[in-house]
Amino acid sequence: MIVAERKPFAEIKEFLAPYKKVMILGCGTCVTVCQAGGQAEVDILTSELKIADRQAGKSREFITGTVTRQCEPEMVDPILEQVKRDQPEAILTLACGVGCNFLAERVGKVPVFPGVNTSFYGTALEHGVFAEMCAGCGQCILHLTGGICPIARCTKSLMNGPCGGSNKGKCEISTEVDCGWALIVKRMEELGTLDKLTEIYAARDWSKSFHGGPRKLLIPSVKIAAELAAQAEEAKKPGVKS
Amino acid sequence: MEKNHPEGVGLAASCMAACPVHTPTQAYVQAIAEGRYEDAMDLLLSANPFSSVCGRICHHPCEQNCRRIAVDKPISLRGLKRFVMDQTKDFRKTRKRQVAPANGKKAAIIGAGPSGLTAAQDLALKGYQVTVFEASDSPGGMLGKAIPRYRLPFDVVMEDIKDILALGIELKTNTAIGKDLSFADLRQQGFNAILLAIGLAQSKSIGIPGIDSKGILLGIPFLRMAAEGVPVKLGEKVVVIGGGNVAIDVARTARRLGAKKVTMVSLESRKEMPAWEWEIQEAVDEGIELMPSWGPKAIQAGKGGVRGIELKKCTRVFDENKRFNPAFDESVTTQVACDIILIAIGQGSDFSFLQGSGVKLTPRGLLEWDGETFATSAPGIFASGETVTGPGSAVEAVASGHRAAEAMDHWLQTGTFKKVPKEELPNIGELPKEVAEKARKLERVEVGLTDAGKRVQDFEEFERTYTEAEALREARRCVACATGAVVTEELCAACLTCVRMCPFGVATVDRTASTPAEKCLTCGLCAAECPAAAIALSRFGTEKVKQELLRLAGVKKDKDKPIIVSFNCIYEAQSRRYLKPGEEVLGKDGILRIMVPCVARLKVTELLMPFELGAEGVAVIACEEGECVYPTAEDRLEVRVRRAKQLLDEIGIGGGRMDLFKTKGSAEESWEELWEESRNKIKSAGTGAGAEVSR
Repeated sequence: MIVAERKPFAEIKEFLAPYKKVMILGCGTCVTVCQAGGQAEVDILTSELKIADRQAGKSREFITGTVTRQCEPEMVDPILEQVKRDQPEAILTLACGVGCNFLAERVGKVPVFPGVNTSFYGTALEHGVFAEMCAGCGQCILHLTGGICPIARCTKSLMNGPCGGSNKGKCEISTEVDCGWALIVKRMEELGTLDKLTEIYAARDWSKSFHGGPRKLLIPSVKIAAELAAQAEEAKKPGVKS
Repeated sequence: MEKNHPEGVGLAASCMAACPVHTPTQAYVQAIAEGRYEDAMDLLLSANPFSSVCGRICHHPCEQNCRRIAVDKPISLRGLKRFVMDQTKDFRKTRKRQVAPANGKKAAIIGAGPSGLTAAQDLALKGYQVTVFEASDSPGGMLGKAIPRYRLPFDVVMEDIKDILALGIELKTNTAIGKDLSFADLRQQGFNAILLAIGLAQSKSIGIPGIDSKGILLGIPFLRMAAEGVPVKLGEKVVVIGGGNVAIDVARTARRLGAKKVTMVSLESRKEMPAWEWEIQEAVDEGIELMPSWGPKAIQAGKGGVRGIELKKCTRVFDENKRFNPAFDESVTTQVACDIILIAIGQGSDFSFLQGSGVKLTPRGLLEWDGETFATSAPGIFASGETVTGPGSAVEAVASGHRAAEAMDHWLQTGTFKKVPKEELPNIGELPKEVAEKARKLERVEVGLTDAGKRVQDFEEFERTYTEAEALREARRCVACATGAVVTEELCAACLTCVRMCPFGVATVDRTASTPAEKCLTCGLCAAECPAAAIALSRFGTEKVKQELLRLAGVKKDKDKPIIVSFNCIYEAQSRRYLKPGEEVLGKDGILRIMVPCVARLKVTELLMPFELGAEGVAVIACEEGECVYPTAEDRLEVRVRRAKQLLDEIGIGGGRMDLFKTKGSAEESWEELWEESRNKIKSAGTGAGAEVSR
């Protein structure tokens, strides 16, 4: 799950200061789960803005709603229609960065502002506590490290930890942060596979992570099937010779 | 789609489902809790025109089926019903009812008991011209003539009857059909349909030696004499034969008429006795002796009348087929000396008046009658109540009257018969054990009874009504079954918040959240915390808060009296003082009170909303420390208030404008003080919030 955190109110207030008609949009998936950008947060933020407006002696129009997933064309399209119809001057989205990008590219001349800081891929350790677990590096090596990721969970993303900064299972940067490599070693000891760490592996291909530039994924089976279907549809049109 | 919506899945609270007239029980109890006694009365009367009567004497199947039984004890629903009816007597007289325009048709009701009068009411409401014929000199049937005054004062019976008759129904007392007026007369007078609702007014007797002796009385005539104040000489020792509710009434009446020793003899064993257990207990408390498993053998009498009764051991009352078929051991006998014997072994009807009506009787002497169309064998003549259903309770007679009226209305309008079967509501069922054990126990507020030694001295009502504080405290115990969490599936993100919040372990997530109505204890914590705003509580919601807050529009600011919205837990009120909204939007004190059935249900947005509308402060007044009926709710509320305060800080108007208070003692004792405290805080914070905005 993508974990995000709502931006401070002052920042959001400033983004929206120039606009008289604002759309506030939540996302019904990851950011709802991490309580940063679901409908409840849309309602709370809208209320905050209204109170601040009243305080400042002004009033403006808010349009609010939540999209099930703000990163899918079919789910975002109705919003684009609504934007055309209602003509907000700006959109504040509480979706993660993905949703914000996706909307910004499609919505035409209306500015889109982020209402959350998108933080990491993580898990709920318990209600209201989220921890980073994956860095999306594009070349998963979890099979080598007992299922615990050295890229995401070692502060230095070391492939050969722990480093000298590991102290009683904690990382030198903070006593709050577990040493990722200490976790790996403990886990592999548990599994009786610690000796695997002595094996030599080929160097990682960092070009598959963000270092290789923005990534795109094409699922050949799905994509090709879609193309064939489109071709067949095209062929049916009158006047088109096969 | 709304998942597990109680209405969607069609579930009725078990109390309502158990009531023969399906009184909207939890709705009226919630109305009481909210101080809306008049609404509660309307709800009660919508189902049962004999609500004052039933508030005294109903055998309350609602209570026997209350889901709170799984937690501690049932809600005292009869007590609460009586409270409402006692509180709203004046309002009842002045309220307006919707009566259909006259349809030009006439209906005659024979018998002014609960069944006949209920049918009369329903038909009158539908626009029929209704006349009720009563053979005796007063209406009420058994309610007025048999049920002893210490249980049911006559003026209470008349409260209900006057209200029914106020619909324009004509009552003709001292008019025995078949004697004073014939069925042909009724037809001639233009009655298009007739309802026989004569009840079971005839006591049955037994054929044993000595039964014709002096000093033997039948139960119903005896009760009637007592009810009408006719002096009855009883002597010292009385034997009552019978083990049912009438026998109990007879025994307790005999006690009140001065009998020193009253012995009840019943065929049934103590466990089998058909009287309600609580009534048996009350009788025992009054010094009545029980002799279960004995049957009358012979009456011993001399010149002066009855001297005693010989009894034989009853070894069995019902046979293998559960039919009444008593067996005796004639070798085991005993004698009980007595001056009077009262027989209360059952009742029947005298159908001799039906001669010439066309109504046929069965070979066993009962009415030929269709239990679903309510029709007898004579066209246009219907029957309802105990006459046809057999002995039952007042509320069952009322139910029968409602159904008969519906059947008659259909016949009168179409000329065809309509089946009006008993309606079974889909029952929400018992509260599962695993949920019940997590619920907090709350002591049932018992209604005090007059001490047994004192109450046997007269016919004064021996049960008192709830005080207002007691009624409100008891109403608070109601879980409001079937009004709980409703999940809108499309909005649900399956985030598990509800699962983690639910103090009763009820919520689950299976692709989307699920809060089964059968288990939900309606606390609303899931709805308050749901990040997708996908859960609503059918008993309380944001819209209600919004509606109340809209009253702030146009309110003028006053620097001495900052506008404070106070969210208050209704359960701390001991009177209507704070429950009923005042005439003015704000009290003289500048406080807009919003009464919430547990403030722990308030969402962060609901806490902020007052500031959107110009409030300068918010006070959240919860129940007393540690008193919330919902586990964990106090902590959850505190966290939400803390967040709202942080947001107010962020906005720049200051978190100090919101405070969470705990009631001390009761609303009446502490709220004024808490408001004063809140007011002083807001004043010192300045009138910043929303200051320059005109409304």
